Amino acid sequence: MPFIEVKGKKIEVNEEGFLANHEDWAKEVAELLAKEEEGIENLTDDHWAVINYIRNYYLEKKLAPMVRKLCKNTGFKLKYIFELFPSGPARGACKVAGLPKPDGCV
Amino acid sequence: MTKDLLEEKINQLKPKDLMKALQVFREKLNQEYVAYLSSCVHCGLCADSCHYYLADKDVQSLPAYKLNLAQGIFKKYFSFFGKNIPGLVGAEEFNQKMVREWVDSLFGRCTLCGRCSLNCALGINIHYIIRAARSALAAIDIVPSGLQSTVDTALEKGNNMGIPSKDWVETVEWLEEELQDEVGDKQARLPMNKKGTRLFYAINPREPMFFPLSILAVGKIFYAAGESWTFSSDNYDVTNYGYFSGNDEAAATMSGRLVQSMEKLGCKTLVLAECGHGFSAARWEAPEWLKKKHDFEVKSILEVVADYIQQARIKLDPLCNSDPVTLHDPCNHVRLGGIVEEQRFILKNAVSHFTEMRPNREKNFCCGGGGGQLAMTRFSQRRLKAGQIKADQIRKTGAKIVAAPCHNCIDQLTDLNKHYKLGVEAKTVCEIAADALIIDKS
Repeated sequence: MPFIEVKGKKIEVNEEGFLANHEDWAKEVAELLAKEEEGIENLTDDHWAVINYIRNYYLEKKLAPMVRKLCKNTGFKLKYIFELFPSGPARGACKVAGLPKPDGCV
Repeated sequence: MTKDLLEEKINQLKPKDLMKALQVFREKLNQEYVAYLSSCVHCGLCADSCHYYLADKDVQSLPAYKLNLAQGIFKKYFSFFGKNIPGLVGAEEFNQKMVREWVDSLFGRCTLCGRCSLNCALGINIHYIIRAARSALAAIDIVPSGLQSTVDTALEKGNNMGIPSKDWVETVEWLEEELQDEVGDKQARLPMNKKGTRLFYAINPREPMFFPLSILAVGKIFYAAGESWTFSSDNYDVTNYGYFSGNDEAAATMSGRLVQSMEKLGCKTLVLAECGHGFSAARWEAPEWLKKKHDFEVKSILEVVADYIQQARIKLDPLCNSDPVTLHDPCNHVRLGGIVEEQRFILKNAVSHFTEMRPNREKNFCCGGGGGQLAMTRFSQRRLKAGQIKADQIRKTGAKIVAAPCHNCIDQLTDLNKHYKLGVEAKTVCEIAADALIIDKS
């Protein structure tokens, strides 16, 4: 499997850039994934609101949140979430939040 | 280092496992399949039909080579000459090495798109044989992980993303409010579990999970047409990854769920969201898996919307979509499904500039994401490479929007867009049509 390198530490990702082990996630990992996978140079507070909600939801339920919950809890419109993460909630936001690749057509 | 679980499983295969796989393969071999396995003359016409071979020119990507992998086993175990003079007829031993090759070529270099079959001079349905070989592997639990887990999630949780019913119902309620705002009518509904309606609309779980605008689009079209229709709070998943993994039993369970919903709701027509393999599975394969004919009609949403336009039940303004649009033909809707002109008819009514990519219709190239490839992460680099021909096709049209009536294709096209920097957006046909709807607000 491929690796990314954060602060001199090698972190394993799958062939599509999702973390192999979600425990490896850290703020710096998110920043690197956002830059390399989504082309986001600087994560804003709004990015972090999305990332933190997804991550905490996942840690609690072992499942990515439905996009409805994401909109409701961040107060963001769906369109704005796609502006924040151009690859969308699954391949964009969930990946940066360190979630494994979801099952299904994604 | 994370272990490669599939490789470990292959290493642990016992002779009795291999026998079991062979037995399942044998059960699949009806007269038609035996004829296919006995006919290939290695003419090579299929080579240029395959997007994998065109991308990497690797002999292992040749459709005839992939067919030959299955032929070698067929000869060795099920033919007179293969049993007696194996060396002379190209018979091959079914062992761990061969399982590894089957996984790499038959899961990893094929999207079951059927383009090679269409181009075969002898009419061999190569993709049927490849699926039969996948069935043999599935019987001994040798399926690449993301594909297997999507099947498992669907079997365990009722839909392929494991969405709890409550979350699905709440999402529909949320979308209903959005619909009411959009059409300016507080009475606009997205009906749930409404019995006796004309249509039951089955969706892809990724829509409520991550991409709900496609649901809203169809809801808006149904509203404009004054349709009698419903969602179901359970058994609503149009996808069927058993179709890709080769597991017929799982496939039957998933198809059976849509039948259960039809029975529960008493609707006349099962309408399937824009999902290529879901259409092939529910319309063409399900009666085989279930050993029972459907006693209701099965339609793609594309057929339904095309009918609305033809019958003037909805009106579209093509000026609402002024960006140039091209159309991708999902293999399972078009080449393997027979839904060819409906999507074109809809788009010609819904957009101002429509350009065909070439080749198109049943001759179109696969996007590269089918056959379970999007779920099989281990082959994702190969998948992107095999998608280059599709990327080139799109680029040549100069289009800004790629209409694709299949959620699976949309994800692959979105990936290709990023990888090959195409500067396009992939959308469902209904999303485009909904943007052009003229809603009478009186």
